[in-house]
Amino acid sequence: MDLDALGACLTIPACVVNQTTSGLIVGMLLFLVAAGLTLIFGVLKIVNFAHGTFYMLGGYVAYTALGATNSYTVAVLSGTLAMAVFGVLFERVLISRVYGSNVLMQLLICYAVVLIFDDLVKIVWGPEFHAMGMPAAFQVPPLFIAGGVVPPFYAVLIGIAALIAIALGVGLSMTRFGKTVRAAAINPQMVSALGVNTTLLFAIVFAIGGGLAGLAGALAAPVRSLSPGMGFSILIESFIVTVIGGMGSIAGALVSALLIGMVRGFGTIGFPKFTDGLIYIVMIAILLLRPQGLFGRRS
Amino acid sequence: MREYPALRDVAIAAIALVVILAIPLLHHSPAFEDFVIRLSAMALFATSLNLLVGNTGMVSFGHGMFYGLGAYAFALMMQMTGLSLPVAAVLAVLITTIAALGVGAICVRLGTDYFAFITLAMQMLLYSIIISWQTFTGGDQGLRGGIPRREIFGFELASQLHLYQFCAIVAVLGLLALRHVSASPFGQTLRMIRDNENRASFTGVVLWRARLWAFTIAGAFAGLGGVLAALFVSGAYPELADWPNSGQAIFAVMLGGINSFLGPVLGAMILLALNDVVTRFTEYQGLVLGIVILAFALGLRRGVLDFLKFAWPGRSR
Amino acid sequence: MTGFITRRTMLAGGTASLLAAPWVARAQANTLHIGMQSIFSGPIALLGTSSRNALMIEQERINAAGGFLGRQIEFVFRDSKGQPQEAARITRELVNSTGCELLIDAEASSASFAVQEVVRDLGNIACIHTNSETSSLTADPKIRAPTAFRVARQGVHDAVAGSIHLAEYANAKKLDKWATCSPDYAYGRDTTAQYLQFFKQFKPDVEIVTDAWPKLGQPDFTEVITKLIQAKPQALFTLLYAGDLSAFVNQGNIYALFSQMTVATPNVDYPVLAAIKNLPAGIQSATRYLETFPDTPANKEWGQAYLKKWNERPTNWAWQNSVAMHFYEEAIKKTNSLDAKALAAALSGMKIDSPFGADGTITMRDDHTTIGYAIGWGQTTPKEPFIIDVKPADWGKILELETEWKKQKNYI
Repeated sequence: MDLDALGACLTIPACVVNQTTSGLIVGMLLFLVAAGLTLIFGVLKIVNFAHGTFYMLGGYVAYTALGATNSYTVAVLSGTLAMAVFGVLFERVLISRVYGSNVLMQLLICYAVVLIFDDLVKIVWGPEFHAMGMPAAFQVPPLFIAGGVVPPFYAVLIGIAALIAIALGVGLSMTRFGKTVRAAAINPQMVSALGVNTTLLFAIVFAIGGGLAGLAGALAAPVRSLSPGMGFSILIESFIVTVIGGMGSIAGALVSALLIGMVRGFGTIGFPKFTDGLIYIVMIAILLLRPQGLFGRRS
Repeated sequence: MREYPALRDVAIAAIALVVILAIPLLHHSPAFEDFVIRLSAMALFATSLNLLVGNTGMVSFGHGMFYGLGAYAFALMMQMTGLSLPVAAVLAVLITTIAALGVGAICVRLGTDYFAFITLAMQMLLYSIIISWQTFTGGDQGLRGGIPRREIFGFELASQLHLYQFCAIVAVLGLLALRHVSASPFGQTLRMIRDNENRASFTGVVLWRARLWAFTIAGAFAGLGGVLAALFVSGAYPELADWPNSGQAIFAVMLGGINSFLGPVLGAMILLALNDVVTRFTEYQGLVLGIVILAFALGLRRGVLDFLKFAWPGRSR
Repeated sequence: MTGFITRRTMLAGGTASLLAAPWVARAQANTLHIGMQSIFSGPIALLGTSSRNALMIEQERINAAGGFLGRQIEFVFRDSKGQPQEAARITRELVNSTGCELLIDAEASSASFAVQEVVRDLGNIACIHTNSETSSLTADPKIRAPTAFRVARQGVHDAVAGSIHLAEYANAKKLDKWATCSPDYAYGRDTTAQYLQFFKQFKPDVEIVTDAWPKLGQPDFTEVITKLIQAKPQALFTLLYAGDLSAFVNQGNIYALFSQMTVATPNVDYPVLAAIKNLPAGIQSATRYLETFPDTPANKEWGQAYLKKWNERPTNWAWQNSVAMHFYEEAIKKTNSLDAKALAAALSGMKIDSPFGADGTITMRDDHTTIGYAIGWGQTTPKEPFIIDVKPADWGKILELETEWKKQKNYI
């Protein structure tokens, strides 16, 4: 525990800028993954324990696409689209059979998928780690803002994630499709009775959810290492984010992802050896004080 | 026999125990003995979880914390104090029971989904404490150097045969105790709560108290399983308290049958056997295990024993 | 259905007997099975795969020369995924059911302790740990086992050698302010503490301005990197390795970390160096395996043969497993048996010729661990051979300080 260091950091503008940006970048990438997870739960009432696999495959597909086309944009788009398609397949072939089942049955199916794809990735790309490397366009020196360091690549990532957050928010509240999705989350039978093709709706929701996780994986791939089983830690973190924010709430996912990002950013200064423990304590506290999460609805 | 179900259970347990103890005397197979020793720990762990999941409808994602706590408490006492094995084992289970009472008091007030999440968070917190408190628990390397003085009532537990016999006896007795709890009026109360908690509370059942009892008992038996696990590896490792281990217990329950008392035991048998067999033939165990789980989940749609009951309906519970 | 034994019970019994089939003991063939367990999956899969690669080369060589005691050898590989209880189960399975007569334990440190307990319990099988670098495995008399040996570099040796070199370097370049960034688990914490302890002995005026402890396998190091940059150290010591080091380098590059401080790390293996894109030059690095150090034809030949066969460069883990087989070879020649106690007596104190020895030889001390292997420090460059200007460590000094450290820990 190093509370003096934490106190010192909070009084230095450069430190605050640096740790806040790092909290932002960690938080925004986490938000992309958690948004998909919370959307799927909100509409389909399915806890997608295989969500980390989408993230992992998004990264690997982007890695291969970059190697083939040398274009980072194509790589990111490939990762996202591939995972959207995978999401639809996953929903149609497997998830649709366990709607309404015990949550443990859903867990079982998702876990089986995680196991299978961790090994498939090992077979296709090999068991060792891969590094995608920074695309040439981003190999530029960092910017200096208020004495703090802000790398352009991260600024772009934060921007993309923010745009998506806005698009999701606007999309869900103002477009017809968004309203149908929200209605289906509250009462799917009624929505179906009103003539909406709920099968198609659910497939699309899974496509969006999976696509978001794949996007996050592809965006993060240049700076993170790719290895089989990398989805595991992402799953835990995004799970914590959705629980704290409220299962089913996009706004909740955004706020809690940023919260977790900040806890990491400043926790690493104040509690360098217990940062994870800190996050679990926050989760327990929220569950005891407000079990439905910050923005969740009491069911 | 039908009029005295408790007697019938004891008789089945006695016969099973005699058979299990007889096998190594007829055909000595160290691999089989290892399997039974590990199964003993896992069977107690999974069956205790089913007291919560199948019987009370409480889905706990964090049950592994009591398994791990039992293992660490036992191993630490054996390494750090001069207590004899039976005393250390009983104390370890006692410590785990008190912990289960404490954790349960905090968690049982929450509704189903949130109960699952908070138990998971509690387990992850315990796991980070184990990892961080390196000077006491050995951190990620666990407790090294082995468990000394492994004697109990004439059993020399360093000998595999004696360890096998000891674990078999403890497991059968433990399962019998759990069966007694499950078949008792208290167990029926739990199932009533599972099926319709409002109706249960109308009949005067204090919901949170019944759930807390169930949670505590389940935690205690998971701790006992942990003690056996610690004996097998002669130490304690953080993996025993990590949440994938909770996942293993959940899978054992689901694969074997959530509505049958012996379901979790069968599920544990299947998981352990698969692990042992598959690792000999391929390094892609995840692939094989995943396909098997999908076959169970999509094909049978319920655990094996539940499926058998469904396909061949017999005497009702 | 009435009756005591229901149809369900019969079915259950039948299933149980079917499942029992694998444990009926197998017949013994004339092949000499050697059990090998390691980590073949996850972020440090390289540890297991490179160990296995080296052992396959040894298997061919030894079998071509007639095998052990006239019997052809065959490795049986198992993946424990680094889980200690799985590692313990595998060791027992290898010995008890698969009938392995020798063991190579290529696990990383946490699982190797679990294997050690099994070897101690069984008492009748020889085992060489090849990848565990935690000193206490053999240094602590309570943990050392009579038939278990270690052929691997040791944390305390590396710590002494590294601190001597870094202290000289720091004094020469006037680098007084240091920071550390190591993975938050036993190896990371203990080894960093060891390095710092010896470092302060050789450079008392060193000031550690900050320390960072990311989790092993953590995907994002950003908050750690910004914390380090803010503390403005002149040099950074890091024990991150494999995928973590690669991610750290990539993420550090976008913060221009490497232009703001000198970096020292003992943990860079060839394939990691090759996989990290944009590797900065000038990182102070220890040699784990280097074809050019020791600069002998025997070493170069081995490195080239490995590269040719496996299309990738060897790692530290590769040469350690190779040397382990050489030790077994010599011990079996000497005792003409596979009996664990006889082999243990032969191995204790044995000295063999080796291309990886600092002076052409490696010795197995009577505390069951190896000394005399090549340790050097140099600096990185973005292309082959990746580490240049290598200076060998002084083994006299290493052994002297190791003895002091052991006394301090009450191991002797």
